Amino acid sequence: MSEPTGVIHDIGYQRYTGLRLGRRHVFGALYLHGVRTAFGLGRSAKAKIFPWLVVGIVIMVAAAVTAISSQIGESIMTYAQFADAMSWLVIFFVAVAAPELVSRDLRSGVLPLYFSRPLPHADYPLAKLLALVTALWLLLGAPQLVMFLGGAFTADGMRAVWDEVLDLLPGLLYAGLWAVVFAAVGLLVASLTGKRAFAAGGIVAVFLMTTPIVGVLSILPSQTANQLAGLASPSTLVQGIGVWTMRDQLITSPEAAGPDIGAFGPAYALAAVALVAACVALLLARYRKVAAR
Amino acid sequence: MSTVCWITARGLFGRRRFLLLLPLPVLLVVLAVLSRGLGVPPSSWGPPVLVGLGLAVVLPVVALIVGTGVLGAEIDDGTVVHVLTTPLPRWQIVLPKLAVAAGVTAITVAVPLFVAGLLADSVRLGLALAVAASIGALAYSALFVAASLLTRRPVLLGLVYVLIWEGLLGNVITGTRVLSIQHYVIALADRLAPTNLLETTVSVPVAVVMTALVSIGFTVLAIDRLRAFSVAGETS
Repeated sequence: MSEPTGVIHDIGYQRYTGLRLGRRHVFGALYLHGVRTAFGLGRSAKAKIFPWLVVGIVIMVAAAVTAISSQIGESIMTYAQFADAMSWLVIFFVAVAAPELVSRDLRSGVLPLYFSRPLPHADYPLAKLLALVTALWLLLGAPQLVMFLGGAFTADGMRAVWDEVLDLLPGLLYAGLWAVVFAAVGLLVASLTGKRAFAAGGIVAVFLMTTPIVGVLSILPSQTANQLAGLASPSTLVQGIGVWTMRDQLITSPEAAGPDIGAFGPAYALAAVALVAACVALLLARYRKVAAR
Repeated sequence: MSTVCWITARGLFGRRRFLLLLPLPVLLVVLAVLSRGLGVPPSSWGPPVLVGLGLAVVLPVVALIVGTGVLGAEIDDGTVVHVLTTPLPRWQIVLPKLAVAAGVTAITVAVPLFVAGLLADSVRLGLALAVAASIGALAYSALFVAASLLTRRPVLLGLVYVLIWEGLLGNVITGTRVLSIQHYVIALADRLAPTNLLETTVSVPVAVVMTALVSIGFTVLAIDRLRAFSVAGETS
């Protein structure tokens, strides 16, 4: 009988004794990472092409609008109208960013790694949603800031600058409305598939196929149907709320007939709240299942 | 029917994936039937449904999803290697895939457009729309199959073309319509069945020549790109 000769060497494994950051920091890290992902920051040049193409176009349009209106001396586009004019680019940006945010994680199967952290199920989709909302708001807000700087430096006197500020604020709020509605719908569609290609196609299909429905509903013989037509599509839904709450910002010339919403303004607001709430609820339900698997 | 055709078709339709292609055409038919049933004059519902939904959304989006799905999905998965290592000439890989993509897109789009055209005006308009949409399906498919060999993000490149070039610029700067498949299709359909529902600034000879050029040019480009195809992992 010989004594056991094995030795346990101390190779320096240590417990982590530092400060453990909690849920808020996990959420914050995920959110910041999401915003950076939406613009392709911290990734290869290839991932930056499409987001920055969109950013470049909107900034260029804003710069052109600013230059023209400072030359002719009158505003050709209000801040809120700018968001409406860029709706196709917003759709494209959602189709670029939303699959990057959620479909990549589904595809590479890293969700179990996320959920092995002190991260409740709800936090992952909410952080991603908040990141997409922020990215969209920046996309629409930054060009408005360019327009504001152009307007402020050509304005004469502090009072004119203050008027510009009062015009800018509703514009930024309106951009936030666009961001919330489009991010909620887009992220829900993207979270259904792990294939980025399908997710991008699906998002565009959902947003584009609803616009002609509005076109058809608004020519039906019933006036109520015409005034409620805008509910059928996210972009006209947002426009309806805009027309209801800040009519003078969206419809500037009397001959430019905006969407006629009649007395249904509150209905539009309710529909938008319901749409966003439904999308968020479905998104949460979607991730409850992934987490349990 | 070659094996490549069969594999491609199964890749597109397997596991009930074909259900994803249904909502857009069904919506087109439903809107046409609804408008007709409620007695709206065709001159007011024709343009938004036939052009705004049918030719500007359903045709390019279905062509985009199918066209990038036949080859792009395999490249994405890495399973394209299995096809490439067989002793098939490259054109015998590209052409069957293109045929499946164009055929599926044509059927998915032409049938609802025929119904909508029939309800809007006449059998002749329905047939004209169906034929023009099928020709457009071939051109779009060639474009998107080539795109899936040129870049790793074919859907986004295709969306840039559909949304920004055709959707945004085509309406603002009418000169860009010369390079827009959507307007070739409108011009062809208007030539086959002259009505006041379809309007474009592109002339018919330009449309015919450009459609042929796009279809053949991008097919040749796709075959050429597949000859020099390098298998690489996802980088970004």
